[in-house]
Amino acid sequence: MKDFALDRLVPAHVRAFEAYVPSPPDDVLCRRFGVPQLHRLNNNENPLGPPEAARAMMAAWKPEHAALYPQGDGWHLRRALGRQFDIDPEQLILGNGANEVIAFVIKAFCEPGDNIVTADRTFAVYEWLASFSGVEPKLVPLRDYAFDAAAMLEAIDDRTRVVFVCNPNNPTGTWWTHDELDAFMDAVDGRAIVVADEAYAEFAEDPAFPDSFALMQRHPNLIVFRTFSKMWGLAGLRIGWMAASPDVAATVKKTSISYSVNLLAMEAARAAVWDEAHVAATRAHMREARAGVAELAARLGLTMIGDVGNFCMLRLPVSDTVAHRRLMGRGVMARAMTSFRYPGWLRVSLGPAAAMAAFATALEEVLAEG
Amino acid sequence: MTLDPRAQLPPGPRHAGIGAGFVRDCAIAGGAEERLANRLALIAEEVLGAAPANAGLVGLALADRRHSMRLSVDFTASDLDLAGLDQSRRGDIEEGEEIGLYLAARLADRLTTEPLDRGGLRLSFDVGRAYPAMTPDAAPAGLGPISGPAADPDDATLALLVQWAEAAELGGPAFRTAPRVLDQRAQGDLFARVALDARRRPVGGLFWHPFGRRLMELAGPALLLPEGEARAAVAGALLDAALAGLVRKKIQGLVVLEPSPDMPRAGFETVGHLPSADGATWPVLFRALEEDPGGISWVPAVLKDWVTATTRRLALGRDIEEPARPKRATGAAMAAETDRARGRVTLRSLIAAGDAAEVAAGNVALFRDQGFSEIRALLDLGKPDQAAFAEGLVQAGLAPAALIPDAAGDLLLLAAAE
Ligand SMILES: Cc1ncc(COP(=O)(O)O)c(C=O)c1O
Repeated sequence: MKDFALDRLVPAHVRAFEAYVPSPPDDVLCRRFGVPQLHRLNNNENPLGPPEAARAMMAAWKPEHAALYPQGDGWHLRRALGRQFDIDPEQLILGNGANEVIAFVIKAFCEPGDNIVTADRTFAVYEWLASFSGVEPKLVPLRDYAFDAAAMLEAIDDRTRVVFVCNPNNPTGTWWTHDELDAFMDAVDGRAIVVADEAYAEFAEDPAFPDSFALMQRHPNLIVFRTFSKMWGLAGLRIGWMAASPDVAATVKKTSISYSVNLLAMEAARAAVWDEAHVAATRAHMREARAGVAELAARLGLTMIGDVGNFCMLRLPVSDTVAHRRLMGRGVMARAMTSFRYPGWLRVSLGPAAAMAAFATALEEVLAEG
Repeated sequence: MTLDPRAQLPPGPRHAGIGAGFVRDCAIAGGAEERLANRLALIAEEVLGAAPANAGLVGLALADRRHSMRLSVDFTASDLDLAGLDQSRRGDIEEGEEIGLYLAARLADRLTTEPLDRGGLRLSFDVGRAYPAMTPDAAPAGLGPISGPAADPDDATLALLVQWAEAAELGGPAFRTAPRVLDQRAQGDLFARVALDARRRPVGGLFWHPFGRRLMELAGPALLLPEGEARAAVAGALLDAALAGLVRKKIQGLVVLEPSPDMPRAGFETVGHLPSADGATWPVLFRALEEDPGGISWVPAVLKDWVTATTRRLALGRDIEEPARPKRATGAAMAAETDRARGRVTLRSLIAAGDAAEVAAGNVALFRDQGFSEIRALLDLGKPDQAAFAEGLVQAGLAPAALIPDAAGDLLLLAAAE
């Protein structure tokens, strides 16, 4: 092979995109930052881990089953979820994490030159997936930390295919009520698919939080995302799902990847559906941990926002990226928010009590350094 | 798809004239003025003439970069002796071919080098366009406070901002000659945010341009309001808008090498100090956009104490390693970017080899002799090869001045003020 002109084969929107580089594993981070251990408060995981039945399932799991392909589209899990939410299992699609489901949806509805509409300060993956697919992400500024329905409606044009609403929003924890989402759907009036990404829905205790599965019946262009990564403590197994009206689901199924969810994930998730005691225990933990951070914020004179989900944000008097490094040097990993377009803010997951205590001590020291 | 004219010619004096003619004609056809076309042609002639006989076909391409024209010269052979590009090699006069490359390097306003696939090398010579002199209009009296967020300005607004900043001598050298600034932006070499008052008139601007692979250098801000709260609000809004526009792409951080007193300091960290000619120093500021996951720092023995202490002070997670000597025994070369108006030269590694220290010291001596008052060098500590230059730079009187963090390779800025 003499001349392999790679650039000629790569679409411009891929060439222009910079690959996401995840943080290295803990052993490497510990060595580089010179700490014996690392409290990870950066990924919004559930410190309680998976529910009891999922643990039992995994403990009893036979390693020889690893040789076998899983069932290809989550037959049993979709039925279990269908029963739980009174939805036809054909309307449900599984993915290797909700992240993969985002890709299915963009692939199903967008072609290069189209656009998606979402917020500027929200989960990054909608924006990234669109960008490297040649689809323009139209980013609407948040208003008072929340998705701005009027401005989002304004941003929709005839090339808009999908509107992503992160509800509750990562990282601000703000959310639209059932009535607000309903009114938004009325105003969109079928011009685009609307995704309600409810990755953190199970943390919302307020009865005004949307019953999106019910709204789907009135608004066939509504897609709902859920994940087993957050409330269900299965982030490491990578499993998420979506629900949509029958025709929309049938369309997304075409671009979904069969067999992409592994056997263990499907079985563990099925065992987890729908352990109310686990939900209650997790919510109780979050209330307590959030109160602890609120106390810390008050003591240090920091603004704190976010009252839904397993995370909150603090506004620092110093650069968040500097604070991130200094916290790393003390064995605590929180999320620097400049990349979420919140320079000067830190997002902290509400993790195990010991990690929260380490965070409090470390943050106080870091801020004392000025 | 670019439609830049390109040609391939054998190396050596016999084809040098053909290359020069090609470049000159293409430059003229592309709208370049005579002076520019001639300089580019001379560069092509010198490089082709000096290229070693074993270089294989040499690729020439001419690109119109609006504010400059760029002649790229591609060498595809993997093991070339291009040491003549090093400006300090002027002493080896008996080797005529090296003089050619040396001259070519001197004719360009800027020479950059980048590796090609499978061991080749691309040399890019930039020659700047001349812009007619003009007297900039001054800003009107009574500009109001900022209204709305700072935004990416249209051409007319950007031109107005630059004229007003230039008339009031604000913002520094980046805020001069409006047509050039527009060309730089159109070319993707400069980015801007401008704040407007309620009557949509510019009241301040902030620029940035690429600095190395993954960083941007901020210039300004130029603030047109009188000292006070309204002016500080403009500065804050400009920085916020710059950060929002830069994140989630490939840029890892912002560096400020010449902080204007109006740059809001909160949110920046001081990563070092640069000496100025009058003996004073000023801070080098940095703002990371992304979390730093740690990385490797290849640090030569002479700099180990300084880099280790600074790495610790900045709380960077780094494996600090001592690099092996470069495999190549001789033929090290450095690229130099000169700014004659300011008496500044910045040296970078071009080809690392066993004689790197000697070559580095030779470069510093050369520019010192030529009367340059600010001599700097930038080493990428993510590349084990580059450390080889450090010893010579330090011997020649350069000292580490700043460590600009980048997990993929911190940039060590060395400086000597004469
Ligand atoms: C809002 C939101 N959606 C989706 C995801 C991705 O979830 P999963 O782990 O299922 O891919 C996350 C994870 O952080 C999230 O915050």
